[in-house]
Amino acid sequence: MDTTVFVPVDDATGAAAPDATPAVRARALTKTYGRGQAQVHALDGVDVDFDAGRFTAIMGPSGSGKSTLMHLLAGLDSATSGQAFLGSTDVTALGDKALTRLRRDRVGFVFQQFNLLPMFTAEQNITLPVELAGGSVDRAWFDTLVTTLGLSQRLTHRPSELSGGQQQRVAIARALIAQPEVVFADEPTGNLDSRAGVEVLSFLRRSVRELGRTVIMVTHDPTAAAYADRVVLIADGRIAGEISDPTPEAVLAGLDALRSLEAPVAGTAADGGTRAGA
Amino acid sequence: MLRITLAQMRRSAGRLTAAGVAIVIGTAFVAATLLASGVITRMTYDSIAAQYGDADLVVGASEDAPLDVDALATTDGVAAVAPVTSTYAQLTDGARSVYQSVVPTADDRLMPLEVTEGGMPAGPDEIALPTDVAERLDVAVGDTVDVGRDVVGDDGSWQQVTETPTVVGLLDDPFGAYSQTGGAAVVDASTYTTWQTEARGEPAPVTEAAVVVADGADLSATRSALAGTIGGATSTDSSPWVVTTDERAAESAAELTDGQDLMFLVFVLTFAAIALVVAGLVIANTFQVLVAQRARTLALLRCVGADKAQVGRGVLVEAGILGLIASVAGVLLGTALGQAALWVAHAMDVPVPLPDTVTLTWQVVVIPVLVGTLVTVGAAVVPARVATRVAPLAALRPAASPSTSRRAGKVRPVLSLLAAVVGFALLGGGAALGTLGQEPTLGLLAGIAGGALSFVGVAVGAVFWLPKVAAAAGRLVGASGPTARLAAANTLRNPRRTATTSTALLIGVTLVAMMSTGAASARVSLTAALDEQFPVDVMVASTSWDADGAPAAIPADLRAELVAVDGVTAAVDVQDSVVAEPGGQRRLTAVDTGDARAVLNSPQRLDGLTEGTALVGSDVAGNLDDGDSLELTGPDGVVSLAVVLSDSASSSTFVTPADLARLDADVPASEVYLALDDDVDAVDAVGAIQDVVADSGESAQVTGIASQRAMFDQVIDTMLGIVLGLLAVAVVIALIGVANTLSLSVLERRRESATLRAIGLSRAQLRGMLAVEGLLIAGVGAVLGVVLGLVYGWAGAAAALGVMGDVTLSVPWRDVVLVLLVALLAGLVASVAPARTALKASPVEALATE
Ligand SMILES: Nc1ncnc2c1ncn2[C@@H]1O[C@H](COP(=O)(O)OP(=O)(O)OP(=O)(O)O)[C@@H](O)[C@H]1O
Ligand SMILES: [Mg+2]
Repeated sequence: MDTTVFVPVDDATGAAAPDATPAVRARALTKTYGRGQAQVHALDGVDVDFDAGRFTAIMGPSGSGKSTLMHLLAGLDSATSGQAFLGSTDVTALGDKALTRLRRDRVGFVFQQFNLLPMFTAEQNITLPVELAGGSVDRAWFDTLVTTLGLSQRLTHRPSELSGGQQQRVAIARALIAQPEVVFADEPTGNLDSRAGVEVLSFLRRSVRELGRTVIMVTHDPTAAAYADRVVLIADGRIAGEISDPTPEAVLAGLDALRSLEAPVAGTAADGGTRAGA
Repeated sequence: MLRITLAQMRRSAGRLTAAGVAIVIGTAFVAATLLASGVITRMTYDSIAAQYGDADLVVGASEDAPLDVDALATTDGVAAVAPVTSTYAQLTDGARSVYQSVVPTADDRLMPLEVTEGGMPAGPDEIALPTDVAERLDVAVGDTVDVGRDVVGDDGSWQQVTETPTVVGLLDDPFGAYSQTGGAAVVDASTYTTWQTEARGEPAPVTEAAVVVADGADLSATRSALAGTIGGATSTDSSPWVVTTDERAAESAAELTDGQDLMFLVFVLTFAAIALVVAGLVIANTFQVLVAQRARTLALLRCVGADKAQVGRGVLVEAGILGLIASVAGVLLGTALGQAALWVAHAMDVPVPLPDTVTLTWQVVVIPVLVGTLVTVGAAVVPARVATRVAPLAALRPAASPSTSRRAGKVRPVLSLLAAVVGFALLGGGAALGTLGQEPTLGLLAGIAGGALSFVGVAVGAVFWLPKVAAAAGRLVGASGPTARLAAANTLRNPRRTATTSTALLIGVTLVAMMSTGAASARVSLTAALDEQFPVDVMVASTSWDADGAPAAIPADLRAELVAVDGVTAAVDVQDSVVAEPGGQRRLTAVDTGDARAVLNSPQRLDGLTEGTALVGSDVAGNLDDGDSLELTGPDGVVSLAVVLSDSASSSTFVTPADLARLDADVPASEVYLALDDDVDAVDAVGAIQDVVADSGESAQVTGIASQRAMFDQVIDTMLGIVLGLLAVAVVIALIGVANTLSLSVLERRRESATLRAIGLSRAQLRGMLAVEGLLIAGVGAVLGVVLGLVYGWAGAAAALGVMGDVTLSVPWRDVVLVLLVALLAGLVASVAPARTALKASPVEALATE
């Protein structure tokens, strides 16, 4: 499966060099909560690109705006200003109907809390997005997913009968079933022990390498981030740098650099092993 | 602990609202019932007190030792005396006639009636009439009216004399003194005395008199003086007596309403109790959900040292506070409604004298508050027990989706099944007793006992079987798409919650359906019985007789006019004659079979009647048998007819006009039977026919079976309407319960709804999902309720009406469809607010970990 399948025909650049077009882009993306004294700039003019067919991790201190960025990129929340593109679609310009369609067909989510529906079996949970869209499940793809994620024996179980790692794998299968352009995962290993975490991360990586998906993942764990092709660092609502082909050590160093600078001037974070964000 | 309870209540204020509303409605019902009962008692008292005018004292005696009014009048301190008495007279003007209660004139202070036009009668040729009676008779002041009254002759025989006094005044009855008898006409006191004396042949004894105490005279002194005059006591324990007007009125009112007001109270309070049971279910549900949702908080409390009893008590205290607040609100609402009803009644000028304001007694306040609070606390007992079972450890577990599913013991399913089985067997037995055994009282008793028992079994066991029905219904709707499948799955997540909610609705709907079915079956069965008894809609029979005492024929022009009346569809002439048969006489009725079939309600009654046959009703069949030859002898000949036995229990022998003519050549058609169009108002049509007869100047009697049947229909309709209106309260509470359950579920499914939205559930789909949930919960309750109600209604009708002949079990389709529509619509509406709540939260907000 190639991601180009999902690039709309009206995408002028998409036709020319699909792999060169970022799957997701943010332009001057800003999100402000509250007003006056209590105002919080969760995102402060973020410009960032995420390439198709790659596994990107977003890292940063707590409260730096990682979740906010993901929510805006996926059309789950509305931006204060700026734009977020999925392929060539400006997500920030869509109404609720179009956003719902976008979430059904073009993005998938994996949550820290799994968020499976307790009354449905694993299989029913996985196929739910397709059914909601009124489509029919691509059986071959379903089997591929289930086999890859090692869920074949667990399909008739309900979430309460599954371990955390299994639940998260079901959630990943659910996120992938509609063959979305991008999968967003917000701390997918946050509630898992390290072994289950490793399982989930390798599956995410396999879904990029072997199934050709694009995955963007928020994590606090440098080891988890090392599974990604690239790490984007974020601090105080701004892009603070990035690491290509990260190793846990490189990620730790990058994070340390962020912390030691504690951002009196955001721009200085560009030095010291990290490169200014796109 | 109280502080924590209050804090929790504040946090859950929204969730408690629906439960509170249920209790408010229930207690308002009870309060309004008590108030209405008070108003009725007051009205009775007021109307009795009004008969005594402004009297201060009332004197009474027995007929054997009557009062001497003159002696009373001359007693010290007495200003005026009037005997308390009334009689009846037939008032007639032209064709219109009213049988009217008549009272004598009296001192102004003792006369409760007011003159609105003209004045009071002053002599034997004068009369005053109630305004509405004058209208009915179509007479005005200055007109005369025929007054017919009975006079006993010297030989002891009765005779009716007619006088023609002039109407001198029109009367109003502002205090309803004579509302029981439809007002009273007034004649001069001495004329009245003459009438009474002539009616009895001797002066009528005065057994009660109203007394006005003179200005300045002492009431108790006058009372003692009167007691002295009559040689009696100052209480009604022994006769003669003298008491104050208030004492007398209170006593009479108590006598008059003895048992009746209690009946009213019990009747209406039964429905209030049903409403409260339903409200209890709504409350139980709310607290169950609250406890489930607060499991973590409760566990935390246990962790920091609260013991089981404290946790349980917290829930009960919360219920108590809710119940108290809601009950007080309910009493206020009930009082306001009662007062509003009085205002509306006053504004509409209802003819009965109503008090201006409701009377708040302590019972009206205390009983509903007590009952409402107890019901609330009672309903929270089980949830409180569940709360005590929350383990401290639960606080440490990750937030799991709360679930109240809990193993119920073995006792409950077995007992409820037993109750249902035994109950339905009893019910069937009751129906069999009524139809086959012809034992309506026994059958009805068995039926009621069986019905109640089986219903308790069904309702208590609902938690076991209702979810299964809901599951089946869910599978059915689930086939229609993912939204419905989601809804069906949601409905089954908390079987207990769904069961309780549906049961609440089931109770109300079952009773509504039962009443409608019972009424419909009763109507059909009784109509069939009436058809049997009265074969035609309207009979017009001549009441003038010729010299030989034979009735005269209905004149042709009158007949033509009758046929022309709106709504009359067919007519048949009827000849009646008595001829000789071997060993006696036989009354024959001759009708043209073709005409008669068009008129009879059941034309098959005439099957077998042809030239040369006599259709003999079973009551007059004697030992005649089919095919026997019946030899009849009339003035004009002897005729032999073949006997055809009729299966109807009638006392008529039908022959054809031709056969009758051979027996007696000139039998007048002294009766005309008329058929009415089914669609016309029978009461109006019969009225029109009566007018035609009255205007024709002919003397003929109109018997309108149709209007009797219409009246009888109206009685059933009115009763049914009242009962359904009372039951509606329970249904409304149950529907609030549906909305309550939905909104509670939506609150605890915030994260889930957000997840669904995040993976592509559209707003419309979310709304649709909740709508289907509402429809499922309401629909299951309503459909099952209708089915149960049909069974109960039929069984009841069979048990009660079996003696009347074949019971026709009919389905009141209109009512059934209406109930289902209302329930489904309400289920739909109930989902609107929860859907709004569910959609208000953006996916991100709801996904944020709490
Ligand atoms: N609904 C909200 N209202 C007000 N402020 C908010 C809201 N949501 C987030 N914020 C603020 O926006 C900033 C960014 O929040 P965000 O959740 O994106 O952080 P994060 O990087 O995901 O942190 P963490 O690693 O702890 O999940 C924080 O300062 C937070 O307090
Ligand atoms: Mg976050």
